[in-house]
Amino acid sequence: MRKLPSLQDFKDRNVAEGSSYYNIDGEAYPETGWAQFKQVVTRTFRLELFVGLWVVLREMFKFNIHTVQYPAEKLPIGPRYRAVHEMQRLWESGTERCIGCGLCEKICISDCIRMDTKIDENSRKAVTEYTINLGRCIFCGYCAEVCPELAIVHGGRYENVSEQRAHYIGFEDMLTPLDMAISGKVAEYPGFGAVTPHEDERVKVTPLAY
Amino acid sequence: MVNFTINGQSVSCEKGETILNVARKNAIYIPTMCYLQKTTPCASCRLCSVEAEGVEGFVLSCQAPAIEGLCVITESDSLHKERVNIMKMYDVNHPLECGVCDKSGACDLQNKTLEFNVGTQEFSAKDQHRKIEHWGRINYDPALCILCEKCTHVCNEVIGDDAIDLYFGGYGSKVIPKNSETLDCTFCGECISVCPVGALVSSDFQYTANAWELSKIPAACAHCSAACALEYEVKHESIDAIGQEKIYRVTNDFEVNTLCGAGRFAYDFENRIYGKDKEAFLGAIEAIKKGAIRFSSLITNEEAMILQRMKEKLGIKLFNQEALNFSKFMKAYGSTSGQSLYSATLEHIRSSDAIVIIGSRIATDNPAVRYAMTTAARHKGARITYMHPIEDALMQNTAKQYVKYEVGAEEGVMALLAKTLLEGKTLDSEISAFFAELDLGYLEAESNVGDEEMMQLKKNLTRTKKRTLILGADLIAHAKAENIARLAGLIEKHTEFKVMIVAPSTNTLGVSLICDLDEESEGYAVGYNARGEFVLSSFGEGDLDMPSLNQQEGTFTTIDKRVVPTNVALPYNGYVLNDLANALGIRAEYTIDYTSQLPYSVGFECNAFDTLNARYGNAIKDSRGYELKSIEVTCDGVLSSVDELPEFNGTVLYACNPVLQFTPNTQKAHQLEEEACLRGSEQFAIAAKLSDGDRVEFDFGTLRQKRIFKIDTALKGTIALNPAYDLGLAAMVSSYRYQSVKISKVGS
Repeated sequence: MRKLPSLQDFKDRNVAEGSSYYNIDGEAYPETGWAQFKQVVTRTFRLELFVGLWVVLREMFKFNIHTVQYPAEKLPIGPRYRAVHEMQRLWESGTERCIGCGLCEKICISDCIRMDTKIDENSRKAVTEYTINLGRCIFCGYCAEVCPELAIVHGGRYENVSEQRAHYIGFEDMLTPLDMAISGKVAEYPGFGAVTPHEDERVKVTPLAY
Repeated sequence: MVNFTINGQSVSCEKGETILNVARKNAIYIPTMCYLQKTTPCASCRLCSVEAEGVEGFVLSCQAPAIEGLCVITESDSLHKERVNIMKMYDVNHPLECGVCDKSGACDLQNKTLEFNVGTQEFSAKDQHRKIEHWGRINYDPALCILCEKCTHVCNEVIGDDAIDLYFGGYGSKVIPKNSETLDCTFCGECISVCPVGALVSSDFQYTANAWELSKIPAACAHCSAACALEYEVKHESIDAIGQEKIYRVTNDFEVNTLCGAGRFAYDFENRIYGKDKEAFLGAIEAIKKGAIRFSSLITNEEAMILQRMKEKLGIKLFNQEALNFSKFMKAYGSTSGQSLYSATLEHIRSSDAIVIIGSRIATDNPAVRYAMTTAARHKGARITYMHPIEDALMQNTAKQYVKYEVGAEEGVMALLAKTLLEGKTLDSEISAFFAELDLGYLEAESNVGDEEMMQLKKNLTRTKKRTLILGADLIAHAKAENIARLAGLIEKHTEFKVMIVAPSTNTLGVSLICDLDEESEGYAVGYNARGEFVLSSFGEGDLDMPSLNQQEGTFTTIDKRVVPTNVALPYNGYVLNDLANALGIRAEYTIDYTSQLPYSVGFECNAFDTLNARYGNAIKDSRGYELKSIEVTCDGVLSSVDELPEFNGTVLYACNPVLQFTPNTQKAHQLEEEACLRGSEQFAIAAKLSDGDRVEFDFGTLRQKRIFKIDTALKGTIALNPAYDLGLAAMVSSYRYQSVKISKVGS
């Protein structure tokens, strides 16, 4: 039987012998007082600082700057990045996708989603209010994963700065603007909470022959 | 006893018990979709099929009784295939709206579909448009309906409204209102409760919450003396009301227990207050010290105990005329029956085959008793004799015989009834002399109950084994109530009849046992949910607010003579009666500390509140709390001779609430909003020279009332019904329920 390692075995790790640990190259630490003094003097008078500054100056005059001009300019975020939620609308009609099933509310582990629903005049379920308390949200993505209608997704808005937390919990802010949805400017969402590609091929179709 | 085996496990049962029931008792699982414990088997789903050795094909376990030596198999490949096919058929074109459906998460179809792993629809059928029906408090979506027939069975066999029926049309079959365009029933909502899918739903609840979000709080219904088991389902109110809780709906364990519409729809009667009113609290303490408390029976046993302690410590008087009447009635009853309590229970009514009910418009007074009687009529073929001055359309389908007697003649009728039932029994000479002295001719003439009617009643009893006599609130508040009670006690003692006395209010029985009540007198009194110079009220109109019955924990004493617990559904942050008691030097940390101190001498047990069971669980019978012990008392009651029967001439009104209304609590419920009006038949309208919609004014007892008169076509006779539930603190009327009044019109 294999012997289970004890706690002591973990503590006595011998990095030198036959392990994959190795020391990186580097100057040996000065040990005497004289050696330390010598190191300080050399570093001071060799002007190492200007070696780095020279690179900056050189690139500045070449006008070949790679710095992103944040916040005027932003790097694209990967589609599966999990930032502030978005509420999607249907492509064709612009109707809100959310049906008010309450699964996101249920699955939310930080208990920050809450919705109020009612029956509307067409006997359908209508969401009257929907809030996400972003002050509590841990951006785990469960809500987007559980949503059966692909309504709630994680978008790319990662900037959370405001004077008040209350600014982050409005449903309307998260909802895709209606004109964008109807004019077809919203592409099918590829990010977190969307279906995986080629999902069509896996769907079993109900027979329609009667 | 029948011995047989299920899956090789040997089991035994009573003769006539079905295989399914025996299996359930022995924790053997047989799937069902349409079975309901409390009705006859619908036998529409065929999911409960089992195999029995020596029997060709499958046996429906829900309706097949067990036979000696039978070998039953509940799981096999062919059974599984059969069940999977049934589930596939159920799922054909079932709308895929689980996401929004109210039933999702508590749906039988969902559960069974997953259990039998039906992932795809292999059959096809042309989908058709099915219109959603709106029937007032109930919405019906035929597309979701699986035609299990639970609703129609329960409506007919348990409730007795017989208001819904199945329209047979193959694929187009659906549930329809019976003999009517729209649903016309008492709106008990039991069909909503039993519906295994989301086809029948409460229109008020629909789409406001999901099954999994609601926390269920087991409690006892606070509206009538049945104190039915129910569960308040609670969730946060809304995004805007931070920290506020709300009851969304009431559900019940529908397999064994039935709720009326008041229990189901009148749940939002909580007293919402914001913080404690110290000044009013101090005022209340001073007021109590002045010497009297008048209270209603809408309180828990523990509160009654606190009031009794206040009486003992401070020497104050306790007024509760209604409970005092009841207590006197019970004492008189015990003085001839020899027991401190009556013997019948709702379960006994359900299994009775002969029932006589007198002195109560039971369908409105106590729906639980009505449902028990309906069950008896449908399942046991019980012959029910309904004795009352006013015919009740709701009892038409249930009662076999209707005996109409004159208002005020209850004592005479009871004497005639006792004479009929006690005929041929060996009685004491005094009692025999009493019956011999009865002036039958006078009594029959004045009470309008003829000899033939009593003969018919007697005929109804032939070859019946289990009999129940039900006495209503009319008798308890009668001027000669004690004599009536003594007659009833004799019937209990000398015949096979078991007697039930229907207490007029939720906890009248408990209060009458716990409190040492005083005769009502004028003068300064604190009112607790009753009128008084300083009012403690849970209705929200008093000088000091008190928690409502869904904001309190405690126990009720039910019509079944059980002490059942109820729990806090909604928070209350004001003062409670126990705080007042503590301030007056009667120390207890919590109100429920008194549960174990309830008086042992009258039949209570010394059980702590936390040991009491609040749910039905798997038990088929009501096992909530504990049963009161009946105490043996000496039979020293002496019948007093029947006096001249009082006459009620002119316009007579009967204190009677409409269906679903009981107290200011039910009036508060947003789902039961309706204007209280005086309801009379067309005949009454002609006699009283009134027409529909007239504004009238009259003195009912001591109270001047203004009402709108409405003609109710379902009513017959010349007595109008005058509700009391809307009168707030004055609602607790404890005088005789019939009153001759002079009605004056005040415009129209």
